[in-house]
Amino acid sequence: MPKTIIDIKDLSFVFDDGYIGLNHISLSIEQGEFIILAGKNGSGKTTFLRHLNGLLMPTSGMIRINGQDISKHLTQTRKTVGMVFQDPDTQMVGDTVFDEVAFGPENLKQPRALITEKVTRILETLDLFHLKDRNPSTLSGGEKRKTTIAGILAMDPEVIVFDEPFSNLDYPGMLQVLAVIMDLHHAGQTLMIATHDIEPVIFEATRMIIMGNGSIMEDGSPLALVRCLESHGVREPCFSKFGLKPQSWQR
Amino acid sequence: MAEITPFTYRPGSSGLHLLDTRLKFFITCLVGMSMLPAEGIACCFYFLMLHFFLKKTGLHFFPILNHMKLFLILLFFIFLTKALTTQGNLLFSAYSLTVTGQGVTEGAMTAFKFFLLMLTGLIFSATTRPSSVKAAVQWFLKPIPLVPEKRVAVMISLALCFLPVILKQAKEVSDAQKARCAHLQKNPVKKTMGLALPLLKKTFLSADHLVLAMESRCYCDDRTDPEFTPSGKEKAFLLGSIAVCACLLLFR
Repeated sequence: MPKTIIDIKDLSFVFDDGYIGLNHISLSIEQGEFIILAGKNGSGKTTFLRHLNGLLMPTSGMIRINGQDISKHLTQTRKTVGMVFQDPDTQMVGDTVFDEVAFGPENLKQPRALITEKVTRILETLDLFHLKDRNPSTLSGGEKRKTTIAGILAMDPEVIVFDEPFSNLDYPGMLQVLAVIMDLHHAGQTLMIATHDIEPVIFEATRMIIMGNGSIMEDGSPLALVRCLESHGVREPCFSKFGLKPQSWQR
Repeated sequence: MAEITPFTYRPGSSGLHLLDTRLKFFITCLVGMSMLPAEGIACCFYFLMLHFFLKKTGLHFFPILNHMKLFLILLFFIFLTKALTTQGNLLFSAYSLTVTGQGVTEGAMTAFKFFLLMLTGLIFSATTRPSSVKAAVQWFLKPIPLVPEKRVAVMISLALCFLPVILKQAKEVSDAQKARCAHLQKNPVKKTMGLALPLLKKTFLSADHLVLAMESRCYCDDRTDPEFTPSGKEKAFLLGSIAVCACLLLFR
């Protein structure tokens, strides 16, 4: 039986101005799952993801990661759940690709030799090693996104959450990022992707959660839920609209 | 993509690239100070040496001049100020302005020294990884009490990596304004406000996102210390730079 990594009970979050961000959410995430978090803008996807990383704390309810309350184990939470933000330009803090990837392990005070070995291995795996001395701001969109993923992988997370990983990317950039996500999934990594464009990932995802007004509207198998996407403000994939068989975007 | 300037770090494997950054820092400061009292021949000798290192670094002299147009204008003003304010033998005068021979010589010398200092800094920044600069600053600040050297180092790093982002955002805001005929606005205050306000808003928002991103990766002051890897040529470079400083001070 797969291990439960994240367990959420009756999670609610209210912003300072009284706006309800999340409304009584309960769910659990198991090891190896590949979850699509779909929903229109303002449905609460980003607010939800930020709770998983401990960037926001629940107004009420409880989040447990590997059985531990996140509010009491913040560093461990952030190490366990890595978050890839929507805009890589404002996420990258290193002045070279190598330093950017090393930032997380340095914060965890890992030994220098281990950091060098780990960063080199991850850059090679993601085909970024030849860019290690480049300033991240000079990279292409796809390379920037891959660098941010590498930065998260360097912290050895058990779960990686992506906030709109395909936004502002051209088609080749999108394929580059998709390839990395698929490799992670095939390696058994637990993934959660918040997106309103589900087409590239629906074929491989194991579960889809549709959010609306801060609540979970639907939770189930991705292919079983495609028909009800548009009623929640998310575009239905082309294959479903035209009655075709779903196909992987990976070449 | 962000623009590459001559000051941007260029990866390489030359002696200067591999030199311990702390020593490079020290040598740059030492040579800079030795240049203050230096005179003509010594400065020309130093210029030739810098030219050699520029070539070694893969930088070309004339494109650099092209990039530094504004700096050259500043040097011209320095020259002009010296030429007009230094007492000495009159060369010519017009409209109550007098130019002296000593003024021209001193002005040219001062401008040339500033130019050499700038080239020295350029070679330093083009051959040194920004993270190594940050690490060296952290190392130099460590013995000073009450200075949070690790935080200062991260701030330097953030400033270095955020500058291209801010410049890119400024260009985007400016282009968006031009697209809506902002060039027709003649009032410079309104023009500046129109550019500054959206840019500030964007910059603060980006800073907010950056804080979240750093927090999500467990940022704290107690981080892994930087590592310095000497190339083995440090002694030779130190002796060479002492010799250069001696030349600058002796051959006037």
